[in-house]
Amino acid sequence: MKRVLNFTERKRIKRKNVSIQFIRQNGKVVGFTLEKLDLNDLDLPNYAKIYIEAYYRTELKRFDLGTINSFTLPYSGDLKDIAYSENSKFRILVIDPSDLKILAHADKISPDEIAGKRAILPVEFTDLGNEIWRVEYEGDEGAPILMINREIPNIQNIAKKDPQFLLYVYPAVLREILIHIVFVDKIDSTTEPTVGWHRDWLKFTQQLGVEIPESLSIENDNFNRDDILEWISNCITKFCNKYAEKFQEYVKIIEEAP
Amino acid sequence: MIAVRRMLQKGEDSFREFLNQVRENKSFPKPDLNNEPFSEEFSPKIIIDDMITFKSKQELAEYLNKVFEISGVKREDVIGDKGLWTWLAYTWFEQITNNRCNILKREEHYICTSPSNYRRYYIHLVAPCYIIYSLYGLPISKLFVYNPPWEINDFTERVAANQFIISHKNIMEAIYRLYFDERSGRPKRGASSDEEGSVRRFIKVIQQFEFTYDIYSMSSDQIINLLPPEFNRWKPS
Repeated sequence: MKRVLNFTERKRIKRKNVSIQFIRQNGKVVGFTLEKLDLNDLDLPNYAKIYIEAYYRTELKRFDLGTINSFTLPYSGDLKDIAYSENSKFRILVIDPSDLKILAHADKISPDEIAGKRAILPVEFTDLGNEIWRVEYEGDEGAPILMINREIPNIQNIAKKDPQFLLYVYPAVLREILIHIVFVDKIDSTTEPTVGWHRDWLKFTQQLGVEIPESLSIENDNFNRDDILEWISNCITKFCNKYAEKFQEYVKIIEEAP
Repeated sequence: MIAVRRMLQKGEDSFREFLNQVRENKSFPKPDLNNEPFSEEFSPKIIIDDMITFKSKQELAEYLNKVFEISGVKREDVIGDKGLWTWLAYTWFEQITNNRCNILKREEHYICTSPSNYRRYYIHLVAPCYIIYSLYGLPISKLFVYNPPWEINDFTERVAANQFIISHKNIMEAIYRLYFDERSGRPKRGASSDEEGSVRRFIKVIQQFEFTYDIYSMSSDQIINLLPPEFNRWKPS
């Protein structure tokens, strides 16, 4: 994971202080609306410029919101001429125009609807030799992608519905990803992780009903390895409980096997 | 001449099988995948020359840019269309393998993957030349399209994987000015190596600036002037 140093004391705009919605026409994303941008607690100078950028891969479009004392909301921007508009993420920057230094920022913001609905684990079917599955961290910001061996007959269907596959593979995938977040990527915050996909997966564990430990950061004094491992195990248990009917289906298949 | 098509799953599977076979036997016949269920016609209809010869990625990118423009196809509508890029690689297979003399090991050089898996996406031999050329044109894209269509491009692999850099025209212009040698029509010697001031180091330095300065508002001159002394020998005179 890229470690970010903050020598210039730039301030962080908290995610909860930003709200962005996509504008759609016939289901296609054609623009966005910035509904909320609360900078009140950051003590920024009135003359500082505010920009919002929409981006994904090669694509980038910047919108000028004006200055701290002049910007008005809601602000809408056009994304018709940007490729992958559906995948756009947003960056908000507050800049000192005299020296072009960043005074405050928020990055990797997904529009509210996407943050609620987006699949957090893209799946790709590829040739994995003799492996059935593998997690590759090659998505945006090193996000996980589940690679499944496409040489297995009917694998696309199996990966969606087969209880044996679901129970053998997905809990192991979840365990691997949580271990990766904590011990490989060394997540930097429990409440506001810098990396977007870390944030998504933590939210997912909370939705499972598992409380996140006080600290997930190895570099924090409160970090407790045993607590982390227990948290991960609890997540797997809750995840499997959520799919209890699949377990029953699996047992039935075994019982009915000749 | 042929109407452009988009490869479907069955066509991708057959193309993959062909790739496996042709690595073993260079004269293995290329299957006809220009019909359903292997591929479907692209809409709007675009006619391309399937026998054309490209000396460089630049010629390939210029050609595609022209035919898309004539057909009224917008860049934003095609750059994420992996079926289209796979079909183009299939159609120009002889071109992008130097008549089967340079068949690369990874299938992603020919079969385009999802843009979300950017490390694989940008090693495709057709898609990134067009994507970068159509975005920045010449001379900025020269480093990415100077070499023959069948070769990997080091700069595409290193730079395109970095979202911040690839999406900023001024940074891309700085890269061109630092590392491209107009006299030889190639990158400067050592530009993509590990040595001081190379493009690898440039990416690392920009990653630090990214969180300090509003790079977007700077000119390529301003970016170059911000670089530490290790870049001095690369700076344009």
